[in-house]
Amino acid sequence: MSSLALRGWTAATGLLVPLLTLASPGFLKLGDVPPAWAVLWLLPWALVDGAVSGVLAGLLLGLVLDGLHLGPISEIPALMVLGWWWGRMGRKGLPIERSFSLGLLALLGTAFVGLTLILQRAVSGQLQGPVIYTWLGQTLLTALLAPMVCSLQLLLWRQLVSGGRR
Amino acid sequence: MQAGPRLRLPPVRLILQVWPLALVVVAGVSIRLSKGAGVADAYAALSRPFWPGTAQGEWVRQAQRLEDQTRLRQLTADNQRLRQLLQLPSQFGSERLAPVISRDPGGWWQQLVIGQGSIQGVTPGDPVVAPGGLLGRVASVTPTTASVALLTDPSSHVGVWVARTQQHGLLTGLGSSRPVLRFLDKDPGVRPGDVVMTSPASTLVPPNISVGVIQSVNGMASPAPEAVVQLSASAGAVDWVRVVMRPGRP
Repeated sequence: MSSLALRGWTAATGLLVPLLTLASPGFLKLGDVPPAWAVLWLLPWALVDGAVSGVLAGLLLGLVLDGLHLGPISEIPALMVLGWWWGRMGRKGLPIERSFSLGLLALLGTAFVGLTLILQRAVSGQLQGPVIYTWLGQTLLTALLAPMVCSLQLLLWRQLVSGGRR
Repeated sequence: MQAGPRLRLPPVRLILQVWPLALVVVAGVSIRLSKGAGVADAYAALSRPFWPGTAQGEWVRQAQRLEDQTRLRQLTADNQRLRQLLQLPSQFGSERLAPVISRDPGGWWQQLVIGQGSIQGVTPGDPVVAPGGLLGRVASVTPTTASVALLTDPSSHVGVWVARTQQHGLLTGLGSSRPVLRFLDKDPGVRPGDVVMTSPASTLVPPNISVGVIQSVNGMASPAPEAVVQLSASAGAVDWVRVVMRPGRP
């Protein structure tokens, strides 16, 4: 297990995701659609802490969020895949630091989460209403917030990791 | 031959002296015939600064609200008594106020979280009512909170009827702000503007709670006509709701 996950308080910041999901602040909504807080937290975490930690974080976040939401539709598969993908990307490629890159990764990640939700709805026969509107709104909003939110987290996590290695 | 009495015109001087008096008399007659027009209007214009202010108006409205509430309470009691006399099922009773602590009416899940849970006696399936009408039903509970599936959620299915035509249907959420009402009859005879209420035949929700207003009707839908319903209770604006619980619970 990598260094970030072993620090209790850093893992505890993941609790902000369900809290922000429940609070759902109105000024951070686009057309009444909230951003994907789980993506905004998971992206810098997985980039810094690796694939295993990313998958575990995705699983835990998905479990908590599924408990808060109604119905059988789950975010767990998408969050686990994203945690693994971003974890591998952070360890094997060049360090991702640019705001545009973070925004693009958040955009792709949120779009992927939305697609899995749409697929599950289609399978369960509940594919009605403005799902495309919700999907596009959440993807766009999360991508816009990512450069601000994820950059700060990325900086903090990298400082912690590099400080721990010294 | 003697001439008859000559027609005498009143002297001009007399006319000039009397015409103001005649004018006053004519004005008085006009006022009498018009039931005080002019005088009352002049009095209204003069006394306008001294008319009853907004405070008095608010008192009157408050008294009217109190009277309405008293009448509503009396009618509700009468309704319950008559339902008991007719031996109609009455499985809904006490209500509990609950604050809305989280709302997500526009995302993937149309739900609210309220600050009352199983400790306070809230159970899954309990109807939740807001100012304006039915909001949804409790889907799950924790000891101190409960998740409410809104009427707009695709998993929501509630039996309703149009009170004017007494046509029953099933209100189904679509994930958008306006659910669809699927009628059971092929010719429901409804039109936009008709009020939709919970069905007296429903066992899931209390009868005759306002749900919304029909916005448009699709008579070509198969197998039966459908209508889009504009809900009367706004999930995005409400801060407190009432959870309707079955009798015998705390």
